[in-house]
Amino acid sequence: MATIKIDGLKKRYANGFEAIHGIDLDVADGELVVIVGPSGCGKSTLLRMVAGLETITEGTLSIDGTVVNDHEPGQRDIAMVFQNYALYPHMSVFNNMAYGLRNRGVGREEIKRKVADVAAILELGDLLDRKPAQLSGGQRQRVAMGRAIVRDPKVFLFDEPLSNLDAKLRVQMRIEIKRLQRRLGTTSLYVTHDQVEAMTLADRLVVMNAGRPEQIGTPMDIYTNPASMFVAGFIGSPAMNFLALERMEGGRLRLPGSEAMLAEDDGSNGAPVLGIRPEHMRTVGTAADADIVLSVDAIEPLGADTLVYGRALGQEGEIVLRLGGSHSIGEGDNLPVAFDRNHLHFFDRANGRRADVRT
Amino acid sequence: MVENRPFLTLLSHLIMIAGVAIVALPVWIAFVISTMDATDLLGGVAPLWPGDQFLENYATILFQGEQASSAPPVLLMMTNSLIMALGIAIGKIVISIISAYAIVYFRFPFRMFFFWMIFMTLMLPVEVRIMPTFKVIADLNMLNSYAGLTIPLIASATATFLFRQFFLTVPEELLEAARIDGAGPVKFFIDILLPLSRTNIAALFVILFIYGWNQYLWPLIVTTEDSYYTVVMGVQRMVAVPDADPIWHYVMTTALLGMLPPALVVLFMQKLFVKGLVEQEK
Ligand SMILES: Nc1ncnc2c1ncn2[C@@H]1O[C@H](COP(=O)(O)OP(=O)(O)OP(=O)(O)O)[C@@H](O)[C@H]1O
Ligand SMILES: [Mg+2]
Repeated sequence: MATIKIDGLKKRYANGFEAIHGIDLDVADGELVVIVGPSGCGKSTLLRMVAGLETITEGTLSIDGTVVNDHEPGQRDIAMVFQNYALYPHMSVFNNMAYGLRNRGVGREEIKRKVADVAAILELGDLLDRKPAQLSGGQRQRVAMGRAIVRDPKVFLFDEPLSNLDAKLRVQMRIEIKRLQRRLGTTSLYVTHDQVEAMTLADRLVVMNAGRPEQIGTPMDIYTNPASMFVAGFIGSPAMNFLALERMEGGRLRLPGSEAMLAEDDGSNGAPVLGIRPEHMRTVGTAADADIVLSVDAIEPLGADTLVYGRALGQEGEIVLRLGGSHSIGEGDNLPVAFDRNHLHFFDRANGRRADVRT
Repeated sequence: MVENRPFLTLLSHLIMIAGVAIVALPVWIAFVISTMDATDLLGGVAPLWPGDQFLENYATILFQGEQASSAPPVLLMMTNSLIMALGIAIGKIVISIISAYAIVYFRFPFRMFFFWMIFMTLMLPVEVRIMPTFKVIADLNMLNSYAGLTIPLIASATATFLFRQFFLTVPEELLEAARIDGAGPVKFFIDILLPLSRTNIAALFVILFIYGWNQYLWPLIVTTEDSYYTVVMGVQRMVAVPDADPIWHYVMTTALLGMLPPALVVLFMQKLFVKGLVEQEK
């Protein structure tokens, strides 16, 4: 059982590129922290610094209270699951799992017992004699998991472990990873760019953008209180809608073409923007009750939900609306839409941060 | 081709049979001659059917050698050839796999400079540098020794280059996974890299063994004592006897014996060899 303390960690690569500009993060014992962000934001770099595969340019990294900046990966007592699994191609499944134990001088009998235990948990019992090339993608993934688990390390590190699986298997393994992590209670860092994976797995979420953590918090906290337009747009699917607001006299803010005042500010926000999630909008009977009138240009019935895409007067971007159940809306319809007043978010487009407003 | 045309099948078989005959006929004639005695060959026409001297000829040549050219017994020459070929093949593989490992996996000053130095030796086979190499070997008192026979032929760029190319295709995550599993550089080399290179090593071994076995010029120069003669030199000496006709049935016996080990190596390593040439296990 272990804690991780990341303190002012920075990474500058040999070519001078600064991939991580400084991050602080405390991971509690047994916690699963998911690092999420778009491609190239430095997720893998951060994880690899924790693993010891990349050197730390600045800052300190402690595992269980010991500073491990200068420890070899093998001395840090961590295990990592790679995106492409990185199984040893010439070794059987058994040997793949046993290799790390052997290098640590664990006895033969104990290795046998440990591998058998883990193989039973992961349902790999019948595959122990096979080579990785003789396994399906999903089975390889399980072996990679098994190799990590069998060592009973202080920390698990996952770098997009599910992205090579098909959609169905991904959902299945996602649940299984969560269950395993709970059962073993091992402190974990999990990197993904899939926000659904991030939301469902995380005890806590780190949303990264261009080498900086934009927000750190529980998934629900980040969903309900995104600290910036970037986080708001990244977490949630379909993404949050952003609508430009006009400022009337007295700092009152409203949607262009609408009478309803949504909030007021002191004028310090450069370009106020309203953020509203697709699931926090509903259709209303008449245009008089509506906040916007959506001219529908596409409909996606998902079964349980229906996604309606369209445009509104005075708004540049496309607007998405999620309605429960199925609806008989046609393309070209003009749909009066009202917003749930409890779920309005205000941002300042000038700096992308949450805006200070009164509602 | 997956077409089913009887005429084409017949034609391709004929071509292949002709090819086999072209290669095999001289070998057959050599074998036939190696089973004759001197009188059978006086007619000047090569017979096509084996004679009855098989055991006598082979026993004489293997254990006593041909007296006329005072060549040593072929068994001794074959042992010398074997030591030389094995020394060259194993030495080249060991040296080049280790230097390729250093060049691909370690960052040290002048890394690329060393790589290109090794690469340049590709342009300097022993025939090109024979005078200076001979001088060095002579100064080191290595004439008439197995070391003198093998070491100058071991320095090899080709194999280093081959292993380097192979190592570059080994995914980096494998090294990282091994490091996390607690393997240091030596363990990674022995436990992961060597087994993965198995087919490459086998293919190289076959090629280098034959290369070493067939060396002619270098052994001719560094050996003056009979006891270090190699079989390839021996055959030549038997053909080039002064003031006499070569004793053809002994020459052929020696030639056939000299062909045997490389053929056996190819035969036994064939499976691995082909695998190493056409596919890579990853
Ligand atoms: N060895 C390196 N040298 C220089 N720059 C690098 C190196 N490795 C990564 N980078 C850069 O650092 C940045 C972060 O890379 P990183 O691999 O951490 O991204 P990531 O968030 O994991 O992205 P992805 O989701 O695509 O895996 C990228 O801009 C990348 O180009
Ligand atoms: Mg990555």
